[in-house]
Amino acid sequence: MRAKIFRGSMYAAAVFVLILVLVPLLWMVLSAFKSRSEVLPVGLVILPSEWHFDNFAKVFTVYSDINFFYSYLSTLGVAALGVLLSLIVNSMAGYAFARLDFCLKKFFWCFVIFQMFIPGISILITSIEVCSFLGLLDSFFVLVLPGVANGYNTFFFRQFFLSVPRGYEEAAQLDGLGRFGIYLKIFLPLAVTPLIIIGASVFMGYWNSYLWPSLTVTDNVGMKQIMQVIMILRSRYRGDYGVVVAGTIISITGPLLIFAAAQKYIVQGITISGIK
Amino acid sequence: MIAPCVLGITAFVMIPLALALYRSLFDYRVYSEVQEWVGLKNYWQVLSTDLFVRSFGNVLLLAACVVVLVVVCAFFFAHVIANIAPRFARAVKSIIYIPCLISGIAAGIIFLFLTNLSGGLINGVLFELGLDSVAFDRQGIWPYVSVIYPTVWLSFGYNCLVLYAGLINIPSQYFEAAELDGAGAGARLWYITLPNMKNYFVLIIVNLVAANLQMFEVPMMMTGGGPLHKTYTPVLYVYNSYRDNAATQSLTIAAAVLIMIPIAVVNMVIFRIIRSEKSNDD
Repeated sequence: MRAKIFRGSMYAAAVFVLILVLVPLLWMVLSAFKSRSEVLPVGLVILPSEWHFDNFAKVFTVYSDINFFYSYLSTLGVAALGVLLSLIVNSMAGYAFARLDFCLKKFFWCFVIFQMFIPGISILITSIEVCSFLGLLDSFFVLVLPGVANGYNTFFFRQFFLSVPRGYEEAAQLDGLGRFGIYLKIFLPLAVTPLIIIGASVFMGYWNSYLWPSLTVTDNVGMKQIMQVIMILRSRYRGDYGVVVAGTIISITGPLLIFAAAQKYIVQGITISGIK
Repeated sequence: MIAPCVLGITAFVMIPLALALYRSLFDYRVYSEVQEWVGLKNYWQVLSTDLFVRSFGNVLLLAACVVVLVVVCAFFFAHVIANIAPRFARAVKSIIYIPCLISGIAAGIIFLFLTNLSGGLINGVLFELGLDSVAFDRQGIWPYVSVIYPTVWLSFGYNCLVLYAGLINIPSQYFEAAELDGAGAGARLWYITLPNMKNYFVLIIVNLVAANLQMFEVPMMMTGGGPLHKTYTPVLYVYNSYRDNAATQSLTIAAAVLIMIPIAVVNMVIFRIIRSEKSNDD
């Protein structure tokens, strides 16, 4: 009997938390289909009296100085290139720190780790100055490059590569593979799980970033990132709040699709290491 | 092979950091070429700026609430997940992770629809019940709630999964043996569960502290730092004074450098823990 009450209360708690998690999301979805007068009404309107799809269409056309479609594509492009570069750069460095000997190795290791201790906000203003000096402002690269080299991700790859048995590469060395060949042919194929875990988290970082793009991409309309565009929509909604939510929903699709695809690895990754 | 990584960190971390430290020692404005060496005066001036000091106090309060709530709720819910049918648990794990994919900006918009004074869901319900509406961004304790709740909502799922991992990694023989010895639920929690999950707790707590000391997007969206700067945070301070052309830039940079100190310390703790945990695995 007691066990039954215990089980029951566990299910009740699960349902309660699911409600707390899901209500904001469901309310967002419902709001996106409401007409202008129903979206923030007097009183309570739960279901839209008529399902309007034009909020979604309006997202793409409502303002001439933002281009939602281009922004979506450029955010996708920035995130994709950012993931690709950061996987290559950090896994290569991780491999070198795990397996190669070179001079000043300890110094460079501290150098890379040091990056983890510096919060972005502290170097924000002078980073903008550096990017402006390099002529990167308002370009694709100002969004991609600063996030690529990352102490934590390099550390993560190094730890993974340290756990690879030496025997693997000794066999490969006998077959005449060089250091880079060993990295490419032996280590990378073994690292599929860390590549996916890090890749997904880097993707979220690029996709969801607002502060950096909002200060570095000011004039290039098509290059504005999706979160910037959401903020612009919100700041001048003129009573058309349905459009703002519709835009927000579309903006969430990117990470949601990535999560749906890599879900197994992400949840498993957390369960194994306890570390993102 | 480390060249790209080192080059990237040099260009986008080390040089900006050196430049920030350098600039913070001068009286520097963007539009005038004049630079005057002032030593640590900028830091002193920032530290005696009431708003900056208060923003630090605010963020400590907000972060403390968020960390406690997330840790307690996540720990409790980890037990829930462990005690429900596996198939249901798998769905629950995926669903609670969904908010972790959402940015502070998008979450801000989602929650504004719940808390909006005219027509938000909560005020709609209050209206139907014949109650007075609540201005969540400025009335009583609600500004704090409307910053804390979305922040908890955003980070609950991930931390819950981490603690769940810690929980299921405890060998079940421990609990069985304790039960045979007559330990009650409270004793099992205190002598087995908590000590065995210590590393997981420390890890998520320091991670949460580091992240929440840099709280920015949610307060900006939900309250704008108000009312009367009660939910103003240091990052919001730097952001706003950077965008304020009248503010002296070297002061803003000095403020940004000051934010680094507590966060760097917390990050160092995180690194120690991760390293010791990883080296245990080797």
